[in-house]
Amino acid sequence: MFDEPYRWVDAINQRRDYIEDQLKRSSPVIAVSVEEGILLVSFYRRTPKLFELYDRMAMGSIGHPADLEAIRMSLINTAHVEGFTRSSKDVSIRRLVMFNLSPKLKTAFEDVMSSPLIFRGVIVEAGVFPKDDQFIEVDFDGQVSPVTMSSVISSSEEVSDRVKKMLPSTIMAVGDALPLIIDSCFAGNFDVTDIGLDSEGKIVDEAMYREQKEKFIKERVLDIQLVDRFRGVMKPLSMP
Amino acid sequence: MTTPDRISGSLLDLLKQHHVQLPGSSHMEGTATVSPEIQATTILAFHYKEGVLVAGDRRATAGNRIMANRVEKVLEIDGSSVLAISGSPAQAIEMARILDHSFRYYRRSQLDELSLEGRLRLLAQLLKDNLPMAMNGVGGVVPLFITMDPESGGPHIYFYDILGAHFEGTPFAVGGSGSLEVQGVLRFLDRWGSSDGLSSMGKKEAIVLSLRLLETASYFDSATGGIQERDRIYPVIKLVTREGIETVSEGFIRELMEREVQGV
Repeated sequence: MFDEPYRWVDAINQRRDYIEDQLKRSSPVIAVSVEEGILLVSFYRRTPKLFELYDRMAMGSIGHPADLEAIRMSLINTAHVEGFTRSSKDVSIRRLVMFNLSPKLKTAFEDVMSSPLIFRGVIVEAGVFPKDDQFIEVDFDGQVSPVTMSSVISSSEEVSDRVKKMLPSTIMAVGDALPLIIDSCFAGNFDVTDIGLDSEGKIVDEAMYREQKEKFIKERVLDIQLVDRFRGVMKPLSMP
Repeated sequence: MTTPDRISGSLLDLLKQHHVQLPGSSHMEGTATVSPEIQATTILAFHYKEGVLVAGDRRATAGNRIMANRVEKVLEIDGSSVLAISGSPAQAIEMARILDHSFRYYRRSQLDELSLEGRLRLLAQLLKDNLPMAMNGVGGVVPLFITMDPESGGPHIYFYDILGAHFEGTPFAVGGSGSLEVQGVLRFLDRWGSSDGLSSMGKKEAIVLSLRLLETASYFDSATGGIQERDRIYPVIKLVTREGIETVSEGFIRELMEREVQGV
């Protein structure tokens, strides 16, 4: 079936379309550097999308829950074996992503005879100071993109770019940054006109915006987690 | 991507899959003909008004030789428990490392905290696995374990024997070669002391008592370092409360030493 190169390329392209289609329904995940650590925010209906991986490290992801679980466990296992046999200081997201996750995702994506992993995520590592924070975005085909200060994982580049414009542009305290991030996360679920926003993300119809937001929050769980740069652990925060 | 073992949540199983050698996994042959093993200690823990105080001296000895004077014997485990160690530091520190990693691994992989019974059982298992080493005369460990009970929300003290049997210490538990003196004093104070039992003591009072107890133990036991003011070596004291674990600063210990231990 795949004895001719173009057939393999064709199969890969179909696979890409299939995964992108599966990710279309996903609500965004946002990670932002704040003074106290890295703040992760998402809305979910049934299964959480934010997970602690190791000391100072966490993952925010969208995709199929079973695939997220397999990837989460693989990263946790690798990090803990490495941290136990060497030192927790030898565990880094750069090594976890480059030597563990990315090759596995690429192999799974290109093996057209097996089911693909439906996954898109960001792996974060809180540093001692905000300037030391690391974000690595990883896609289902194994592509990695290190980014700075914030990351938006969503169904498409267009949505991510739009949401990113609404995020804080400087390092803020958690209390100040959180309302902005929650609003951005909410806005990433809709076309702007459906919730009373203009193309810049500014509110033009206050009543519509409030009504849509209340309805949206009521139907979902708002998950807010802080990777604490001082204690090194991820802890849940409640809505402001 | 291989199918993960989601049910176990056991770091020990994971490490075995990766062929990592664990304490007690290599049994010693024959009788002990090695040099005297490094040992330690006086460790103590008692309930006070706000939680549990855990303290330990800093000395490690091998026979008559003082091997180290700055050993940390009161070790924080996963931000919610404390292991105070007596016996062989090599095995005990490794056990602390396994416990710390295991609790974290369980929480992260299972998205839940390991139960109180699960935590107690894991330490018991480590001690049981270490028994062949202990029976050979090297590597014996007798710890105190202070951990939060999710149901009551407060800290509890448990003491273990070398086989892994564990019992709750109410209102105190002690360990190490200097523990006999300390045990008697604690019992006396709890029964006939001026305050309404150890559990009614305030924070400062509790810290002063722990310093005086360690000083008393070092008076009779050469393996207990006590407080070595000249070298600025002070005991490690941790307070386990509902709010978390606090390490008492050396500055505060020095201040109390000068005013409440040496100055009276």
